[in-house]
Amino acid sequence: MTGRGLSNDADDPVDERIDTRQRTRELFKQLAKASSGKAQEELRNELVQLHLPLVDHLARRFRNRGEPLDDLVQVGTIGLIKSVDRFQLDRGVEFSTYATPTVLGEIKRYFRDKGWAVRVPRRLQELRLSLATATADLTQELGRSPTVSELSARLKVNEDDILEGLESANAYSTLSLDAPDLGETDGQSMADSLGADDDALEGVDYRESLKPLLAQLDPRAKHILMLRFFRGMTQSQIAGEVGISQMHVSRILSRTLAQLRAGLLE
Amino acid sequence: MSADHHVTLTIPADGAYLSILRTATAGVAARLDFTLDGIEDLRMAVDEACALLLPQSKAESNLHCAFDVGESSLTIAVTAESLSPKPPRRDGFAWTVLTALTTDVDASVDGSSVTLRLTREREGYELP
Repeated sequence: MTGRGLSNDADDPVDERIDTRQRTRELFKQLAKASSGKAQEELRNELVQLHLPLVDHLARRFRNRGEPLDDLVQVGTIGLIKSVDRFQLDRGVEFSTYATPTVLGEIKRYFRDKGWAVRVPRRLQELRLSLATATADLTQELGRSPTVSELSARLKVNEDDILEGLESANAYSTLSLDAPDLGETDGQSMADSLGADDDALEGVDYRESLKPLLAQLDPRAKHILMLRFFRGMTQSQIAGEVGISQMHVSRILSRTLAQLRAGLLE
Repeated sequence: MSADHHVTLTIPADGAYLSILRTATAGVAARLDFTLDGIEDLRMAVDEACALLLPQSKAESNLHCAFDVGESSLTIAVTAESLSPKPPRRDGFAWTVLTALTTDVDASVDGSSVTLRLTREREGYELP
């Protein structure tokens, strides 16, 4: 039923794609003119249906990261619906070009917000949120990142709980080395596959082998990595510059390092 | 308050136990009133240090982690038992990462053990 667009039973996939594009434009034109709510709803539905294969395709990129594919498709679809609602034909961009970053953004946000590697109790998830806010505020006030005792005083939560909250904020990054790599080998953790002494590694020029790995990184992760390790900026400074929270910077750094490590050892 | 305190932790040389070391590191660093930046950096540094040590650790061996809690600095020495102990390359990316995350890094080989010693000074800010 969703055989349009990226369908694999098409004799000529290129024709099929052009067909989808034309149909999309057509539908958006009708949508712009549609007067009744019912007609709009039907057009919107068809547009969403038409691009479900795109969502499916994008969600598949995030398989093996510990979240069920169905959930990813579902949140990706929310991104698709948002794109349909915001898209303006007269901007001259293809809808799929416009929708892709929104769908990816929605999936990534899902990982960020809910993709806990370890089940974290609701209380801690909430604490983590207030910690993020308090950290940002205090960093602003103090001109440096706060200490645990300062956070404890601000939130009126004891220091142990603050530490626990910070720990849970990092629960995500436990995906780095400890989580089973669901990719190929069954249930074997990344750390297991680090392997014993491998003399072949001796000859590896890290810098050379690092280059292609760095090139594969998500541009933002790479940027953050460079700022932290080659320009010596602190996590808080990076958070300010990139416009995300310090905890998020921390997670991105841990995850990126784990990714590079895994790549270097392959 | 001036005497150094020591905390030691022994964990199996297995990635699954690293979270214990990370948590202990964060706990000790928080006691020293490190900022969150400092705490997160140290957490990442022990992770990186272990990632360097684990591949050359003997099977079924342990990682010995010694925390030296000074008045305003923390030194963490992680030691692994290895069949062919070698200090990590100082021109590698991992070393660059370690030096960026700490004030001082040192590696030494003694008999069949390799030790990575990470030191981080508390930032000079006014304590309340």
